[in-house]
Amino acid sequence: MNKMIEIKNVNKFYGRKQALYDINLTIEKGMFGLLGRNGAGKTTLMKTIAALHQKKSGSITVCGAPIERAGEIRAMTGYLPQDFSMYPSMKTDEALEYLGALSGMKAADLRERVTDILHKVNLTEQRSKKVAQLSGGMKRRLGIAQALIHDPQVLIVDEPTAGLDPEERIRFRNLLCEVAEDRIVILSTHIVGDVEATCEQIAIMDEGKILWQGTVSQLINNAIGHVYTANVERRFMPQLKKEYIVTGMITQAEYTTVRIVSDSEPDLPNAVLTEPDLEAAYMYCLHSSGCGIKGDEE
Amino acid sequence: MMLFIRECKKIFHSLTFIIYFAAVILMFFTQFWPAMDEPVTSSTIDSYELAKISGEPETIMPKALDSLTGCYFSNTYRCYPYGLFKAVHLNSRDNDKIRDCITEMSSLNADELEELKAASSISHVKVGTNELESYNVKGVPLSEDITYERFREIMGEVDDILGGGSDYRPDDLAYKFSQEPMTHEEILEQYDEFMEKDHIAIAYGRLFSDYLGIILAVIPVFVAAALVTADKRTKMNELIYSRRISSFRLVFTRFAALVLTMVIPVLLCGAIASARIMYMYKGSTPDIAGAFEVSGKWLLPDIMLAAAMGMFISELFSAGMAILVQFAAWFMCMMMTSMPLYGHIGRFTFICRHNSLFYRSEFMKHYSDFIFSRIFYTAAALAAVLLTVFVYELKRGGKFNGIMFFGKDSIFRHKT
Repeated sequence: MNKMIEIKNVNKFYGRKQALYDINLTIEKGMFGLLGRNGAGKTTLMKTIAALHQKKSGSITVCGAPIERAGEIRAMTGYLPQDFSMYPSMKTDEALEYLGALSGMKAADLRERVTDILHKVNLTEQRSKKVAQLSGGMKRRLGIAQALIHDPQVLIVDEPTAGLDPEERIRFRNLLCEVAEDRIVILSTHIVGDVEATCEQIAIMDEGKILWQGTVSQLINNAIGHVYTANVERRFMPQLKKEYIVTGMITQAEYTTVRIVSDSEPDLPNAVLTEPDLEAAYMYCLHSSGCGIKGDEE
Repeated sequence: MMLFIRECKKIFHSLTFIIYFAAVILMFFTQFWPAMDEPVTSSTIDSYELAKISGEPETIMPKALDSLTGCYFSNTYRCYPYGLFKAVHLNSRDNDKIRDCITEMSSLNADELEELKAASSISHVKVGTNELESYNVKGVPLSEDITYERFREIMGEVDDILGGGSDYRPDDLAYKFSQEPMTHEEILEQYDEFMEKDHIAIAYGRLFSDYLGIILAVIPVFVAAALVTADKRTKMNELIYSRRISSFRLVFTRFAALVLTMVIPVLLCGAIASARIMYMYKGSTPDIAGAFEVSGKWLLPDIMLAAAMGMFISELFSAGMAILVQFAAWFMCMMMTSMPLYGHIGRFTFICRHNSLFYRSEFMKHYSDFIFSRIFYTAAALAAVLLTVFVYELKRGGKFNGIMFFGKDSIFRHKT
């Protein structure tokens, strides 16, 4: 089977407001990161791929099936929305059994599958707890479990690490990498660290458009020669923030060591070129695409 | 099957179902249970004060005319618009119209009416918290030319002048003005029907359905609306929308689960009533199966329609709107119920009434209409479920978000 998602010239409107502009993307097996600011259109694109939203024009095929065949798409897709919960009075395993039944799974298979998946997301001990009693991180893992319960070929996760503590976030990212071994996983996030830790292929979205698509290393390479560090007196910081894109600051006594993204060498006495990280590369991408970000604003 | 069981469990655990359960039990014990205090026997049946309605114009016309004349003299008319008592006092122009109606129906002119008023005694009648002045009028002579058809027409005009719901509504004239106690022989006939034709239990089944039908025509909507909106309330809807299951299967499974769970307390009450009947009528063989049959035919369509409307309107608008619409429909049905409260069954009657263990023949007279109405409302319920499937499918595909009257998605809010 063709394990690939192909998105061609997709446009979407909410009323008269255009939400997606001529989106073209090809997503293959493995982890795919969709990076963008809040309101960039990531969730809209995710929901459109999951057959939960209608597109205005263009085409989307998921593993060979056009998005119009919603039943087929739903059968092969697992979806974890950004803002979700489950019936609080249900126990963890009951919630999974219920959603598994909605996915058309047979009762005999479901029991075994629920046990496996709870083990996979490390919730075996919580299987008899009510959903309302789970912590935020546990609920997120339960979210992944429900999305995987029917063993889908495509997993779509929207901002899954928002609000998680660092330990839970790492655990969650590792889990996503594991499940991406034999399926397509689309991770939509505004947290660069999540993408850096998990994805090879990424796309950057802003205002409903795809600004850039490629590998993480390509994105970093694009930023080489545009990222600097400098030591600046603290009193100059407000002025500096107005003139440059500052991606990092370490304050020591009177001085602050800043990390700056700039098209040309900044007019600072001790500025030196440095290796870009993904965060700086992402900011450079937004900046070079003409998106209004800090430093550009007057 | 697994999904059906899960949906049933969800409903069992919901607060609205617990309230529904309690309401059914409460209705059963407060309204129906007292009817089972003691068994009906040939010696106790007299205490039921059974009455018959002769419906004879010769009885109706003089009594109705006396009553109307007395009300005209005091300019105080008892009315029950929408079932609520209202003492109507007319302005002089409208009261003169009533006088004209009386003079047409009687052989008295306006002056003679005034003389009759002066000669009539006054009493005070208490209706609820109201004390009404009433003239005791007897023997107003009927016009020799008046026919019963014309009499009904004039009384219809009177009812219109009074704003409706008066004692003079043409359809209520027979009940209000030709009711008389049954003779002992007639009462024994009722007893024979109770024992031989209704086999005891069927009569109780009808009374049981009469009482429970009042609430089952409305309260299932609460349970249905709560179930439908639980997905959104608990932020579960997108998890469900993205599943493989067809909208048809999901909606019908939920509907079936709603109907089954809501039938359970009714069955429980039925079982308790059956046990009581068996105990009360030891030595007889009450037709318990017949009682369940009549109650099933009577109540199941009520539950189905209220549940289906709850699902459909909640999906289309909101839970609040579903409750409002169903309650309004229920209220209208209740208000349209005319007296007497037995044999009140028409082809499109949603809330059937037969508030008696007796008058079987009155019920059987309308039996074909009863069956028609039950089939009609069952079909209406299934149609509402199909519409729910349609709306649900639109919503899960992002083609429709429901019609909102409030909030950011309100239809009244200007969209840019």
